[in-house]
Amino acid sequence: MILLTLLWLTIPFGLGFTLYLLPQFRRSLSLLGAFLSIAYALFLFRSNSPVTVNLLDDFGVSLILDPLAAFFILTNGLVTLAVILYCWQSDKTTFFYSQILILHSSINAAFISSDLISLYVALEVISIAAFLLITYPRSDRVIWVGMRYLFASNVAMLFYLVGAILVYQTHYSFAFSGLRGAPPEAWALIFMALLTKGGIFTLGFWLPQTHSESESPVSALMSGVVVKAGVFPLVRLALLLEEINPIIRLFGVATTVLGVVYAIFAQDTKRTLAWSTVSQLGFILAAPAVGGFYALTHGLVKSALFLIVGRLPSRQFSALALQPIPRPLGLVLVIAGFSISGLPLLAGFGAKVMTLENLLPWQEIVMNGVTVGTTIVFAKFIFLPQENFSPADPKPQSWGFWSAIALLLGSLVLANGFYFQVYTVENILKAIAIIGLGWLAYWGLIRRWPQSFSRQPEKFEHLMGAMSLMLILLFWIGWSKWEPLF
Amino acid sequence: MILEAFVLTTILIGFLGVLWKQNLVMKIVAMDIMSTGAIAYFVLAAARPGLLTPIITETMDVPYADPVPQAVILTAIVIGLSIQSLMLVGVMKLSQDHPTLETNEIDRTNLS
Repeated sequence: MILLTLLWLTIPFGLGFTLYLLPQFRRSLSLLGAFLSIAYALFLFRSNSPVTVNLLDDFGVSLILDPLAAFFILTNGLVTLAVILYCWQSDKTTFFYSQILILHSSINAAFISSDLISLYVALEVISIAAFLLITYPRSDRVIWVGMRYLFASNVAMLFYLVGAILVYQTHYSFAFSGLRGAPPEAWALIFMALLTKGGIFTLGFWLPQTHSESESPVSALMSGVVVKAGVFPLVRLALLLEEINPIIRLFGVATTVLGVVYAIFAQDTKRTLAWSTVSQLGFILAAPAVGGFYALTHGLVKSALFLIVGRLPSRQFSALALQPIPRPLGLVLVIAGFSISGLPLLAGFGAKVMTLENLLPWQEIVMNGVTVGTTIVFAKFIFLPQENFSPADPKPQSWGFWSAIALLLGSLVLANGFYFQVYTVENILKAIAIIGLGWLAYWGLIRRWPQSFSRQPEKFEHLMGAMSLMLILLFWIGWSKWEPLF
Repeated sequence: MILEAFVLTTILIGFLGVLWKQNLVMKIVAMDIMSTGAIAYFVLAAARPGLLTPIITETMDVPYADPVPQAVILTAIVIGLSIQSLMLVGVMKLSQDHPTLETNEIDRTNLS
């Protein structure tokens, strides 16, 4: 088991570095890396009890291998595979593929590490690889967007380091479980850094610009898996430490509301999707016990959506309303939109039902409201005008694109197999009612009332300012020995 | 205790620099100060039990420094260095079109 894990973890890294020696095999070797992760995740599902591994010594690297991690690893494998297929016919250089592999394997490392320092290293490598992927086109704009991201995440990770050493001073160990009994400031610092990396609540204002300005395949990777590397440790901590579980749930609810409101009023397709990511990450945190499955379905559908939207003729909804999109593209867009809205037969439905069933009483009203909001957001995509007859595809030989979409949407249908028991008459009726309500609100209200928010909070200075404010809030929660009110 | 206060002040000064300095290069320098503070905090934590190098000798019971935080912070130093160099390369590229390198200016042209 340990040998297998180590091989799976290091082979993609090795491939990432040796790719330069064999540039003609860059695509097939990257595919191999993604396949390894999928195979390993499926293997991990079969072992039911979590396995804890301590490498080297007591002070060494510790890993937890369990089905929760398997969900995230499977997401990572499938999304990376789809992105490589998407890029197959493009003229991306070896550099691009080697960064994808390095990003892929460091995300894997983040998903299984269970001590603060391994997680730190994984998260920092993710920042660097993601920065290099964002800035791949080398224009001023993407360099600035990438630097904002790198800056925000690095400053957050410096706070994280301070938190980590405070935990070490208490227990002489960097293990996650050491957070129990550590001083509240340690907890607040680490928490703030993870919230920033995951793009949660007001710390997530860096996310829309970063995800919408990148190229489609990179956006798909970022929204599909990279942010989940920040969210996953929060889920892990919520399950590990009972006492911070309600706080994580609270942040989950807050970010779903913030994200969905911004997403409803965004006028740009990619920004809508990015804001919707902020909102969907909240769903993962709102019910940590079933967060893994939610992360899987969201990762698949959001990367599919980013890849599809990248093919649309315009990014503005107002322009798309006048210019019908080709039918095949429209069809897959509608299927993806249905999944994330929670229509039965697609795995998004199961994930929604499981999450809503695992909520605490105080979360229920808000979260049900947000599910309606999500259907409003995706009604904007579902009701885009389509045309039957498409003039020859502007980008010929697009089998790479179609196989990527087929892989993602096909996995969404297959993923239903994880939770068959959700298909009850009551749940199906509820899902349809929510979608109906959302569409009603869309046609009755949102469509007639175009509105957009100021982008002031997304400015660089405010990203840093939000961190200090959030730190103060978290310190206050920590020091006041905040007993959950609910 | 006093040392700890100084170290924490260094981190805070760095963070304030990141917030208040307009120039991008100054912001990166401020971030470096922050990371210096974080590294110093690890070194301080390591030196708490003692100052001697942790090498097994005849006389075992000497007050030696804790090797774990030092080993860990080495990784963080390397990562910090690489991130800063990466950022400075980005700044070089940006400075061609934004010679003043003021973040407000860059935000205004690139964030719309």
